[in-house]
Amino acid sequence: MLSHSEASENFIADAERTDWHDETLWFVRAKRDKASKVLPEWEALREHASQVKDHTLANLGEYLVAFEAKANANGIHVHWAADAAEHNAIVHKIIADQGSKILVKSKSMLTEECHLNDYLAEKGIEVVDTDLGERIVQFRNEAPSHIVLPAIHLKKEDVGETFHKHLGTPKGNKDPQFLTEAARQHLRGHFLASEVAITGVNFAIAETGEFVVCTNEGNADMGAHLAKVHIACMGIEKIIPKRADLAVFLRLLARSATGQLITTYSSHFHKPREGQEMHIVLLDNGRTRQLADPKYKNSLKCIRCAACFNTCPVYRRSGGHSYHQPVAGPIGSILAPNIDKKANADLPFASTLCGSCSNVCPVKINIHEQLWFWRQDLMAAGLAPIGKSIGMKLMAYTLAHPAIYRLGGSLLRRFSGLLNSGLNPWYKQREMPQAPKESFQEWYKKR
Amino acid sequence: MSAREQILGKIEPLAEIKHPGAFQGASEDFDFKASLELVGARMVSPEELERIFPNRQRLEKTLDGLSLAEVEVLEIDGAFGVAENGAIWLTEEALPHRVAPFICQHLVIHVQKIVPNMHAAYEELTNQTTGFGLFLAGPSKTADIEQSLVIGAHGARSLTVVIHA
Repeated sequence: MLSHSEASENFIADAERTDWHDETLWFVRAKRDKASKVLPEWEALREHASQVKDHTLANLGEYLVAFEAKANANGIHVHWAADAAEHNAIVHKIIADQGSKILVKSKSMLTEECHLNDYLAEKGIEVVDTDLGERIVQFRNEAPSHIVLPAIHLKKEDVGETFHKHLGTPKGNKDPQFLTEAARQHLRGHFLASEVAITGVNFAIAETGEFVVCTNEGNADMGAHLAKVHIACMGIEKIIPKRADLAVFLRLLARSATGQLITTYSSHFHKPREGQEMHIVLLDNGRTRQLADPKYKNSLKCIRCAACFNTCPVYRRSGGHSYHQPVAGPIGSILAPNIDKKANADLPFASTLCGSCSNVCPVKINIHEQLWFWRQDLMAAGLAPIGKSIGMKLMAYTLAHPAIYRLGGSLLRRFSGLLNSGLNPWYKQREMPQAPKESFQEWYKKR
Repeated sequence: MSAREQILGKIEPLAEIKHPGAFQGASEDFDFKASLELVGARMVSPEELERIFPNRQRLEKTLDGLSLAEVEVLEIDGAFGVAENGAIWLTEEALPHRVAPFICQHLVIHVQKIVPNMHAAYEELTNQTTGFGLFLAGPSKTADIEQSLVIGAHGARSLTVVIHA
């Protein structure tokens, strides 16, 4: 697997596309700014949402049990999964009991986290992703590169080519309207035929046992309301205490994500429809570990709006795939090391620590601080890249010893070629300044 | 040990943080019509509706969602509209089937009442026990191809609203 910086090198090889990616996501960030500034109470809403989430996390066990009881009473089957393997086995058993070989699924980053599609494929069950962006990347055998805009790394020419290959659209047709219509017709067939539908969950309400799913396309609803069996998969951190709390979260979510006032559909699933089976799978997969660590527990407040992606200067110029995780961007970089420290040790370093992520976060997660905490933990655990480890130690030693510092300075001034070489990772794609002939100290002594 | 016990066992209660209660200080000065326009819906008078969609249908309750696959123009009643974002609250009681507002090609909703913001909306829903309800704001849309907005992804291709308030 390529590290973030290695994969980024491939991404930025196409300068024009990199600029397009950068500008497009910045445009989404600008729409978020515009939508948020219309509301004088925006900052109060963020603070309120943050407090509701803090309160929920402080009482998570209690709220999960309350949710379970209410959902059960509403006729929903509640399942608990300690890890991805258990989650997948639960979902598979429900599908196998139904006897389905093909099903529809709307966007769920949690099922990406569990690699559910691959698991089910091995069992001979085909998953049809129904969000347009997700269907596009599924056809291409790629992962989503953004949690809200899964195909944002692609140009319409790429989508045209993909649909030509998989849906038989005319070669060379790259009109978004035409291609979306082709996907509509193709996926409608699957909606009408599927007996099982899987959806994600945006919010689950402890007070009522209902859960809310937000989409713009209507794909979650098309699947869930036609299927005999609806399986909703959620992380245990998606719980909120009361239905009235939704007011705050729904006001923040779409405005933060895309600058919309609200998603087109905010569906409240309370009870299964007559004759339908409804299941909820509650997944831990490291979340309780995250909760127990005061440095990182805040990351569980995330509502997956992706505002931190859109504002991040590193994400915008390196693309989602460089993060080799289902949730990329700044938030993904603080979530992933909790699941696998070693495999994701590069991600907390994929940041400038500028803090923009924390400033746009609708639930006020201190993302940039957690990136910094992870860096310290990873260095201490010996998981930082070896070059970085040696470099940091050398630098610390040099700065602590004035004589060596002066000697090093004078050597580097004389042999500045050392800095302008592959030995210096900072030199890549940058012009190094000319070294002055003498240091300040040397100059001052001569006066 | 079951996964349930495992998970609940691992959750240590943290230092108590109070729920902040109801949100105070929400703006109320919103224009429902302007919001409808922003979310891509069209607002018409009853007369205009007659002219645009003379063949619209009001449908009886059905248990068979697939039977609605050919519905061209569906007419339903919304419970109330939300001025801040153009969303309309619908419950399954007012729908032929849960899938109805999604599967039809065009949707017409009558709105009798408008509340200013989402906080007021959830106040309306305090005692709501419906099995399924949703806030619907405009026609189905997507921008998944190069951020180009396309109306009519999987749900209704258009939303027409008649306000009677």
